[in-house]
Amino acid sequence: MSERNRRESTNPQVPSVYREWIHLADEVIAGQEAEPRPDNWQQLALEWCTSNETERSALASYIATYHKKLGVVWARELLRLEVLLQANDPCAIVTHYKRALRAYPRCALIEAWVAGHILRHDGEIWQAREMCLNAAAELPTLAIPFYELGFIHYLLGDFAGALEHYDQAAMRVTAEEADQAARIFYNRAMMQLALTNDKQAAIAGIKEALHYKPDYAQAKETLRDLKHKWRWFR
Amino acid sequence: MIDRALRYKTETRWFPNRASADRWVLMKIEFSLNQPNQNKRSMSETVWATGDIRLALAELPPIVPLNVRRQIERLLQPWPQGRYTPAYHRSGGILNLFTPQWGEAQDEVWHKMLAEWHAQTFPDDQARRAARAELEQRWNNTPHPFFAGLTPAQVMVGGGEQEAKLADEFLNHLEEFFDETAFDSEGDMLIKTLMFLRSWQLQPLSNGQTPQQIILAERTELLNRRARILAERA
Repeated sequence: MSERNRRESTNPQVPSVYREWIHLADEVIAGQEAEPRPDNWQQLALEWCTSNETERSALASYIATYHKKLGVVWARELLRLEVLLQANDPCAIVTHYKRALRAYPRCALIEAWVAGHILRHDGEIWQAREMCLNAAAELPTLAIPFYELGFIHYLLGDFAGALEHYDQAAMRVTAEEADQAARIFYNRAMMQLALTNDKQAAIAGIKEALHYKPDYAQAKETLRDLKHKWRWFR
Repeated sequence: MIDRALRYKTETRWFPNRASADRWVLMKIEFSLNQPNQNKRSMSETVWATGDIRLALAELPPIVPLNVRRQIERLLQPWPQGRYTPAYHRSGGILNLFTPQWGEAQDEVWHKMLAEWHAQTFPDDQARRAARAELEQRWNNTPHPFFAGLTPAQVMVGGGEQEAKLADEFLNHLEEFFDETAFDSEGDMLIKTLMFLRSWQLQPLSNGQTPQQIILAERTELLNRRARILAERA
């Protein structure tokens, strides 16, 4: 039995907690009168799940391609995922994705949304990497798969590969995605520092990150340390 | 009279998962093969110089368990003439201790090299075979992103005394830092461990060198020694 299956099946808490998460998500959906029906599920999925034009167009294209295999039930599961993503509960997100959405045709956009959680919650580096590579190939204008690939290559100890992916993410991220842009520029600066030990370049990169998110605590602390006594490891 | 007491040393270590604990055992065995014995020659060197694995195995104290002997015998086998595929089953040392298992199927570096070879045209079969042999050597000696930047040859040769010491120091830090830490999930534990490792490998030590630099230099030196001994034998 695979490690992933073993872990899921040995946690007796998950089924009851999962039902609770879904109940809470359904309450949020009902509270906003967003119950999917045969006449509105496509529209609801598009309106609820993203305000980003690229993402909306990717989701619309997915729905158009697979609409016969999707439908009201799928839309409800997608709306639940959106509620869980907003709540930022990695365990709930990963569990719901695996239980409810993985059975449908692959959706690069949904994978782009959940890959980072699969990586950080399950530690499934190779699975997350495969999902990000697929998302990067299918949706080449999105920054997030490249950002996650950068992080994955950093974890693998491939700093040059990480920097390449952060560069790609930096080229794609928009000013509207300020939080994500800050993380991308910060991590890119750190990889440049790892590869070149050029502190001035790193300082410039971190200042760029702070331009997007002035209250980015980790970036502020690193900037302070770089100006005085920098250590990778304490 | 007993000139060498039988000793069975045990130690306690902190690991984020079972796979890394298993790989740690393999890593320790690999380190031991490069440790000089009373004759100032390591078991690996004995095999490189004589081609006789039995001579090296004869140096083992009788207390060494059978499964460890078998493991050692496997590790001391002659390296392939072509691609060093056994590298997929080596530990990769401390820099690869926590990387989830991967193998040939995931080796996109090799797949890409092979695809380029397939796409080429050759005047005859001999040229085609020569190009393939060259390709395999290139793979052996090119830093691999999934081996934390080590080449497959550097993975094959195993770590030496300095890496063994560094690995112990790192694992002490890891235990000190994480033993009492509460993690959100097994995946969270693995990812934080990897981040801890990547920071550690970049931090210069008192001699100004980073653990990563020391490890790479030592493995390169071991490869050079192997090449010298094999050349002398030939």
